[in-house]
Amino acid sequence: MSDAGLSNKRPAIRTPASLGVWTVAAAAVLSSVAMAVLPGEAASGVQMWTFARLHKQLYDPIIAAWPAEARPQITLMSFPALERRMLQGFLAESPTAELIEAERRVAARAFVGPLESVGFVDLTDRLSAEGLLEQINAPSFGPWTSRGRIFGLPHDVHPVMLAYRADIVEAAGIDVAAIETWDDFVRLMSPLMHERGADPSGKPSRYLLNLWEDKDDFIELLLLQAGGGFFDESESVRIATDVNARVISTIVSWCHGPGRIAADAPDFTASGNQLKAEGYVLAAFMPDWMCNIWKNEIPQLAGKVKVMPIPAWERGGRRTSVWGGTMLGIAKTAANQDELWEIVKRLYISPELARSMYVEGDIVTPVRSFWGDPVFDAPDPYFAGQRKGREFINLAPDVPLRTSSPYNTLAKLRVQTAVISLAAYADSTGKFTPEELEPRAMELLRAAEKQVRTQIGRNVFLSGPDSPHAEPIGGGS
Amino acid sequence: MSSAHSQGRWAPWVLLAPFLLVSATFLVYPMVQSIALSMQQTFGPAHQEFVGLSNFGHIVADPLFWRAVRNTLVFTAGSVFIQIPLALGLALLLDRPGLRGRAFLRTVFFAPVLVGVVFVAMIFGVMFEKRTGLVNQALHSAIGWDLDFPWLQRYVMPALIVASLWQYVGFNMVYFLGALQNVRKELLEAATIDGAGPWRRFIHVIIPQIRPVGTFVVLLSIVGSFQLFELPYVLLNGTAGPDNRGLTIVMYLYQMGFDQGDLGYASAVGWLLAMILIMFTVLQRWLGGESGRRAAA
Repeated sequence: MSDAGLSNKRPAIRTPASLGVWTVAAAAVLSSVAMAVLPGEAASGVQMWTFARLHKQLYDPIIAAWPAEARPQITLMSFPALERRMLQGFLAESPTAELIEAERRVAARAFVGPLESVGFVDLTDRLSAEGLLEQINAPSFGPWTSRGRIFGLPHDVHPVMLAYRADIVEAAGIDVAAIETWDDFVRLMSPLMHERGADPSGKPSRYLLNLWEDKDDFIELLLLQAGGGFFDESESVRIATDVNARVISTIVSWCHGPGRIAADAPDFTASGNQLKAEGYVLAAFMPDWMCNIWKNEIPQLAGKVKVMPIPAWERGGRRTSVWGGTMLGIAKTAANQDELWEIVKRLYISPELARSMYVEGDIVTPVRSFWGDPVFDAPDPYFAGQRKGREFINLAPDVPLRTSSPYNTLAKLRVQTAVISLAAYADSTGKFTPEELEPRAMELLRAAEKQVRTQIGRNVFLSGPDSPHAEPIGGGS
Repeated sequence: MSSAHSQGRWAPWVLLAPFLLVSATFLVYPMVQSIALSMQQTFGPAHQEFVGLSNFGHIVADPLFWRAVRNTLVFTAGSVFIQIPLALGLALLLDRPGLRGRAFLRTVFFAPVLVGVVFVAMIFGVMFEKRTGLVNQALHSAIGWDLDFPWLQRYVMPALIVASLWQYVGFNMVYFLGALQNVRKELLEAATIDGAGPWRRFIHVIIPQIRPVGTFVVLLSIVGSFQLFELPYVLLNGTAGPDNRGLTIVMYLYQMGFDQGDLGYASAVGWLLAMILIMFTVLQRWLGGESGRRAAA
């Protein structure tokens, strides 16, 4: 084959690229060089991440009064963004803020691996040496404690009370002080469920409690209140227990059958708020932080609601529970950890913050020495002039203990599935009393526990002989 | 001449280089890496343990995975057996000769595709609310429907199928409409002269003519259904819904990889999903080929 023949078939490329190609290539080269050469916006000072707008609003004025060198730059980011960036930083050792404010579920993600790989600084010795373990409400450390070590300073206590429609309850002459147990609650409040008649579907147009079988947060707080839960104090899985079986059976009996007292008015939604405002549900679980949510989202209930301790499962039993939680931790990669520890204490253990947290956010501080502040005794107009701060503080020491297990979310979902299955069982068999449901509840909880143990058992980083999770699958309880 | 010959030899490689570089970096390397990852348990780059095929073993033994497979198959069935016939029906209606306002109707049916999945999920989330949602309220007014009907609590997959139907039926309709407009008119006329009624013309003339497009639409729907994630994720507030009723295979992968941080396990799920999709594609091509050969015979 001659060269001439080849050139006839496939002409050689002789012409340079067109002007457009050169323009695109030049733009690419120039922009790459510019990116490499121009300095980025360097962060100055101590960096702190938070996920809660309210928290930033509370911290900014306090920090503004500090000397410039001790003032952290607070960056607000969404909950998932903080979770991703924190984990990326901890796992891939990429830069993070020196101070990270993490919610319970997010912080737990840092505790999945070996203890030495937790991305937060171990604060146990500092807390102990400075007497902070005694100063701060003990249960508040639970979610930040992994394998006996504490990795964050607690921001809150988050005791839970029951908010109720005082306008309706008091008009009916019911004295909530006479309610001590859930049985009392049902017995005294039930007449109110029928006083408004039926809705167009023929069902009661009012229910006593905002609760449904798929609300995992409510299920968890009721289990904790009763002394149950998902893990014991040593972080071992304990799901299939008599207490848990009794509680979930009761929840199902409240949501289904002739003894139904509960209805679903979901929190954080317009429709749920509307149902609460209409009086579709008379009472709802109310952690301290939720007071602020109601004030902002359901202002029409101002002066119509009050809070009361949650009815106990048995006489003399616990009248509160816990829902949510935040901590402030120091990233292990931070260079100036002593200086950062001073900032953490200065921010979280300050009377100004304790006061503004309550005034602006209705959140009760975990620092016990501040509980005497008169700000907690101020009547709250939204809660019909009730001194609700004092009510929450009175319950704070009795808040149940929680663990920091990274598998808490998994356990919560598996127990939720068990409750939903139990509700389906109740509907299909016509068994609606707690006593009738308990045997089946126990079977479902055993299955849930097995699933959680299987998942934990897969974690090769937690299966060492010292690990609380190193139990045989299917054992326990 | 020699220089030109040399240029000619290297030119294809020079032109291919950007593509090869990009695909090697962003396709081949991650794929190979994900195969390795699927046989590991990791806690960041610093902690990696080789666990062999145990991730695959755990997946197959996990009832939750099979729940996700079942939900995904239900959704896929809804897409294939409800959405595609509906899309074809709409296309046939719009293809009727003399129909007025065809362009307008086509736009109306296609418009939901232009709405982002996140918005669709949010809108349907509000519409499917118990008591206050538009769906229960409207059905209650019309036929006395239960106001507390738990769409997003108990009937998650039907709710997802309805939302997806609203969004994608017009998209598939456009494919079918294009195919119908290319059906050879002389074949239809010949069938009419031979005495074939509308149904026989549809079965024996139109269907064989639009089969390639139909096959493509079915494949697209199956692949899209198996990749279902955003719609249930937003509709159910980032969860799989009560009792995992909205859990799909991709959501299971996401939960394992990003909620529980088990990237090796998630990679294994990803490879299983890829194998399922390859299996469906091969099966469908085989069935399509078989029926095509039978039609040709």
